[in-house]
Amino acid sequence: MVAGKSQSLFKDRPIKVLLAKPGIDGHDRGMFVLAKSFRDAGMDVLYAGLLPTPEEVVDTAVNEDVDVIALSLMNGAHLTVFKKVADLMKKRGITDIAIVGGGTIPDQDRPKLARMGITGNYGPGTPISTIVEHVKRRAEEARKRKLGLN
Amino acid sequence: MDQSENYWSQRLESMRLRRDKINSRYNSWKKDTLNPWNKSSRNITEERRNSSDIILREVYTEEDLSNNIDQELGMPGTYPFTRGIYPNMYRGKLWTMRMFSGFGTPEDTNRRLKYLISHGETGLSIAFDMPTLYGLDCDSKRSDGEVGKCGVSVSSLKDMEVIFRGIDLGKVSTSMTINAPAIVLTAMYFALAQKKHVPLENVAGTVQADILKEYIAQKEWIYPPEAHLRMIRDMMTFCTKNAPKYNYISISGYHIREAGSSAVQELAFTLADGFYYIDMGIEAGLDVDRFAPRLSFFFNSSINFFEEIAKMRAARRIWATVLKEKYGAKKERSLLMRFHTQTSGYTLTWQQPMNNIVRTTIEAMAAVLGGTQSLHTNSYDEAWALPSDNAVKVALRTQQIIAEESGLADVIDPLGGSYYVEWLTDQMEEKAFEYFDRIERMGGILNAIKSGYLQKEIAATSYKRQIRLEKGEEVMVGANKYVEDEHPISILRISRKAQDMQLKRLRDIKRTRDTAKVTRSLDRLRKAMEDPDENLLPFMIDAVKAYATLEEITNIGREIYGGWKEPVIV
Amino acid sequence: MLDTGEIVSGILRGDPRSISRAVSIMETMPGSAERRKILEAIYPNTGNGQIIGITGPPGIGKSTMIGKLSLSIAQKGHKIGVVAVDASSPFSNGSILGNRLRMQDSLTSRNIFMRSLSTRGQRGGLSSTVWDTVTIMEASGMDKIIVETVGSGQADLDILGLADTIVLVLAPGLGDEIQAIKAGIMEIASIIVVNKIDREGAYMAMKDIQDMLAINSADGWVIPVIGTNALTGDGLEDLMGCMEKHWIYLHEHVNIRESRFKNTVAMDAKIQLDQIVQRSFQRALQGMETIPGKNGSPYDESNSIVKKTIESILKGG
Repeated sequence: MVAGKSQSLFKDRPIKVLLAKPGIDGHDRGMFVLAKSFRDAGMDVLYAGLLPTPEEVVDTAVNEDVDVIALSLMNGAHLTVFKKVADLMKKRGITDIAIVGGGTIPDQDRPKLARMGITGNYGPGTPISTIVEHVKRRAEEARKRKLGLN
Repeated sequence: MDQSENYWSQRLESMRLRRDKINSRYNSWKKDTLNPWNKSSRNITEERRNSSDIILREVYTEEDLSNNIDQELGMPGTYPFTRGIYPNMYRGKLWTMRMFSGFGTPEDTNRRLKYLISHGETGLSIAFDMPTLYGLDCDSKRSDGEVGKCGVSVSSLKDMEVIFRGIDLGKVSTSMTINAPAIVLTAMYFALAQKKHVPLENVAGTVQADILKEYIAQKEWIYPPEAHLRMIRDMMTFCTKNAPKYNYISISGYHIREAGSSAVQELAFTLADGFYYIDMGIEAGLDVDRFAPRLSFFFNSSINFFEEIAKMRAARRIWATVLKEKYGAKKERSLLMRFHTQTSGYTLTWQQPMNNIVRTTIEAMAAVLGGTQSLHTNSYDEAWALPSDNAVKVALRTQQIIAEESGLADVIDPLGGSYYVEWLTDQMEEKAFEYFDRIERMGGILNAIKSGYLQKEIAATSYKRQIRLEKGEEVMVGANKYVEDEHPISILRISRKAQDMQLKRLRDIKRTRDTAKVTRSLDRLRKAMEDPDENLLPFMIDAVKAYATLEEITNIGREIYGGWKEPVIV
Repeated sequence: MLDTGEIVSGILRGDPRSISRAVSIMETMPGSAERRKILEAIYPNTGNGQIIGITGPPGIGKSTMIGKLSLSIAQKGHKIGVVAVDASSPFSNGSILGNRLRMQDSLTSRNIFMRSLSTRGQRGGLSSTVWDTVTIMEASGMDKIIVETVGSGQADLDILGLADTIVLVLAPGLGDEIQAIKAGIMEIASIIVVNKIDREGAYMAMKDIQDMLAINSADGWVIPVIGTNALTGDGLEDLMGCMEKHWIYLHEHVNIRESRFKNTVAMDAKIQLDQIVQRSFQRALQGMETIPGKNGSPYDESNSIVKKTIESILKGG
């Protein structure tokens, strides 16, 4: 059973998520809502603050060994900026940290982001429960990789 | 001043005494009519409240009106201007239909401005892209992928020349939505006017420049608060003397609301910002009656119709009474709160986007009934991206229908005297004063910002609302109720070409400009920045005329003032 | 990737990913063979760093201070590691690890390794996870390791007990000085800092604390009381000087190697015991007779649970 398995995966170390807006974008309302929502879903949450560079995001993710990086942008630059994060991860050979995305992302861009390994890519008005479920699913994959379970 | 007895708490005290009736009519109706009815028909009697957490009764009566209603309302164009700042309001002149625009290259923006002028728009409004808003040039490393995405990219005066090609700066009024580098863009606008031989005293327009709300809500700053505030002071003194038709600040609640605040938080935090700017002008040695008339405001109109109307009516009354009582303003024009309104972006959904036209209509009606001086209506596709031409046209037509078909503009303040609206206006006013009092006790608005208090208040409100949405206690049609399978809508895309074009233009400028002149003007600007008593605007005008770039100019400040980090909010 | 050999050589090289992964193993698998293997392998490279516990009530400016401090310490040529403990929500067990953000600028500019831990979970106990983390950081060549806690509760006291130098941070006007004394942290503090000295009451707070210390003066080491302003950096040079002095004092008066050895033994034994006892105890609990009176009083039944637990332990868990 998935729920039971994930329970033990995260028993001593809750799902750890890094929230980041790696572009020039100060719209942090959603970040705060997600930070609190993830916390209330039992996760450990880091927020990268305003205007982190893609390098800072990846460094933080590695040092904190998060399960998921949750990227958000509302400024239309997701294809360029999300890609920078994904490319850096690839360059450093990191495969056990999942990346999810969100923001003002048109449908047409979703497959492109998915090919970079960035999933979710939820738009405004998405129920928080949908996002939480997705993060949990991706965290499980990442955690199994970390523990050498697949 | 004794903290327990400040101006705000004294006013609050007197406001609480203004209603002494016991609501006997409501109470007996509830007991004799409503309760038995609910019981027999098994009605669900859940509590209703608005965004400001004000609990709403089923109905209001004359007993809910203030004892001093006549003085507190006044008549249109008379103190305290609750019913409107002009005697004739929209019968004299309709509100300005000002549509926010600007995207891609300066050429694109120039075309869009001309398109809107030809469709009857009466004021220009320009949005800038993210790098520009943070004072970065298009060739900055961080700008990659962001150039022209959320507005027009401006790196040097050259870009401004293109944006306004074929437009007479002496005849239009331009609103520029920019804050941290507002003084540089103002310098560019003035430089452009001078180059076109338009005297500065004829230059009309508005620059947002409200840095306090950036720290509170929109989070676009370059320097610590004090450095930005000094630049606002410089614009204030320069424009008061040289460009009397230029509104050097638009004190904005819009972003505070979009960041998740309630209506009353928007009202209170915005006006508290306004009072800070008044204090600043007085401290700079200006007579309040000389500069207060140039301050204007910018509010959000969200979806709770009556709450928005009450907020705008309360705002006018608060501004007029405080300017008169606390700041001793004598001229009537100093007491008038002029404001621009934009419908709420947050209430738009990407699901079933046509519904957004209806939302925008309701919000626009509230703004008109609230007595706004100008209005931007959002386009239905804005939850996704920048608006397409067609969507912008529908949004503009919405205003025209309200103005010319609906009859809403026929009578001034048609809701004046409504038991509910007047009661709600009073409530908004009192709740705002509670915030003013608290902020003063915290040592003023700057302390309230630096400690993160205001930001935390907003984040808390926003999270509460999100939870209500999740539980379905609050409804967003199409998003959490009446949900359908979705089809993507067609949207405007900014191609990467915009970035390439901008990069080329900047390269050309850097190659062809007189480098020695640039260096000289920047050196003089640096010296001025180091001297807090100098006015920066003339030095900025010189620098932009020499085609020093936006980032070259802002970088001097970065070296002198450093950056700023906000306190941790969550 | 759970190749412990690779992780160990990565730690010794100072590779952030290996350090980070090793810490995760300490967190996720407290009783595992992997944890043991890593710690055994790196042990010869540990014991040389100064472990500095920085504690005090929330919201007092500790993280900001650590950010500034670590910059200055790094400039003096030291390699720094930071471990910060954030409290988990008692309702959801989740947490917002906000301390990192408060020092992010310093971390980025000097490439400082920092790890945030939350108080939840931690079957082996939070203090042992922190201790393991510190050990890994030391082995990777970090010689100044800062541990941040809020200083309340037994777990925090356990963590602080492991530090060489304990800095207690207070601020004027909140009555914190008094609370701290009650909490029993004051007795173990090596240095006391009054932050936000620009605030009203700072002078009086420092004076009150100094008076208190005069009575409780510890043997040999006179606890300094320093005023700082973490935002402006005022007083941080002073604090650094005192931390260094305390390190020298320890070298002269305490056998650091020996006490480190003792601490490690005690800590590791405690983790192992906790695990064994918990396993057997939980199993015994499952067999509890829940019908009141059937096996006598609740106290009779609890005696039998204890007996079963011990028997199970003796049988080898």
